[in-house]
Amino acid sequence: MNLEQSTRIAVALGREAARSSSLCGVCVEVLVVAGAGITIMGGRQTGPVCVSNKRMAALEDLQFVSGVGPCQDAFRFGHPVHAPRFDASAVSRWPTFVDLANASGVGAVFAYPLTNNGAKVGVLTIYQDHEGDLTDAQNDDSVALVEVLTETVLSLQDAAPVGTLAAELEDSVLYRAQIYQASGMVAVQLHTSVADALVRIRAHAFGNARTVTEVAADIVTRRLRLGDDPTDREGEV
Amino acid sequence: MASQSDESREKTRHALTASTFVEIVDTLVGDFDVIEVLTLLSARCVELLDASAAGILLADASGRLRVIGASTEQIELLELFQIQNDDGPCLECFRTGATVMNGDLRAPSPWPEFAIESVRAGFPSVCAVPLRLNDVILGCLNLFLSVPALLSPQDVALAQALADVASIAIVQDEVTRKAAIREGQLRRALDSRIAIEQAKGMIAERGRVDMDEAFSLLRAFARNNNRGLSEVAESLVAGTITIDSLAQVRRPPRPPSRGG
Repeated sequence: MNLEQSTRIAVALGREAARSSSLCGVCVEVLVVAGAGITIMGGRQTGPVCVSNKRMAALEDLQFVSGVGPCQDAFRFGHPVHAPRFDASAVSRWPTFVDLANASGVGAVFAYPLTNNGAKVGVLTIYQDHEGDLTDAQNDDSVALVEVLTETVLSLQDAAPVGTLAAELEDSVLYRAQIYQASGMVAVQLHTSVADALVRIRAHAFGNARTVTEVAADIVTRRLRLGDDPTDREGEV
Repeated sequence: MASQSDESREKTRHALTASTFVEIVDTLVGDFDVIEVLTLLSARCVELLDASAAGILLADASGRLRVIGASTEQIELLELFQIQNDDGPCLECFRTGATVMNGDLRAPSPWPEFAIESVRAGFPSVCAVPLRLNDVILGCLNLFLSVPALLSPQDVALAQALADVASIAIVQDEVTRKAAIREGQLRRALDSRIAIEQAKGMIAERGRVDMDEAFSLLRAFARNNNRGLSEVAESLVAGTITIDSLAQVRRPPRPPSRGG
């Protein structure tokens, strides 16, 4: 690893910011934007390390459930996805995401994959209240931030004991802990795999017009048992 | 006569195909210049395929496409035209990661402005194949035909194979290999951390205990059996050990009533 001196210093500061959960705040300040979110992505499992406000958390959740949205595209293709306005092309690519973004007063989204030298660890998402492109300076700063953030995440994990997730990155799992726990419970209730159990939970949420997070919370607190519901058992919603 | 010359042309083509792969692979050993590899790629595409010209676009760190190689200046202009208009077959290929072909740009196409320019430049047919590594789209290789016909499936396949080898050259260096190892370590750590939560849910359900108690049981089992916590959790989730083998976790009789 041959990092520029300035990058090495920025990464050291980034690790400190991650420890005090202020990484997203730093991004918002550096870029001068309405909001930012940093999501760690490992395969199909994703979770935010931090989000700068609740509106973004909802948009992030929606993408997790549907698997469709600018963050998902940015991660999948490994290059930035800019949606400076929700035009016809954005609507056709991410219809439900655009609906929720419009409803929550988000005007533009810019998703940058956290990637460096081919390693992909997550996505930096920038939210603006109003339509319009980022300035060239903001775009350049975002690209520089991506390098620092990617290296920050990787170096935090480098310092963790082998096979153990770095403490500073635990939030990305804890954020959806109830969903994972609920998947485990439903797997036992329905005698299925954990992956299938998550599909059932999603189907139940969709069929009852609720969020996956709400349904998972009900399952974990034993207010809801999918095994008791014949439609859930058969997977028909 | 004709068939004999066809045959010898085919032989030459086979030999050139093989030597092109060797040339590109050669660049992987030791120091090499990415631009050189891509220039070689575009030149060989024109020799090997029924394409009259080729251009290569690569994304920079910010995702902006740059023209890296073009077999003629005309092609460079056509590529720049697409980048400036943010529209065209090469842009579509880059965005979707899929091969984009159009055999007759004189007919209505999804990119009317590009079509006019391309036909004017003498290329009524275009084929764009992605430069990709796994799911990551690095850029695209664009082939231009001087006749209004689709590039043959064999030519498309060969173009993609050449593009794939060139893609390895683009990303294959020591820094990249190290980065891939670190990414893998992060991914595994994430997966095992998630497995612990899933295992907690399984134990909580079977043992009728809360999540904290479920975690204690999981940890106790790992300790007693001298196994790692994540390893036990992952085995449980994968079904290679059963919940009932966690001795303490037996389903107690159902409580007589829910109230109270």
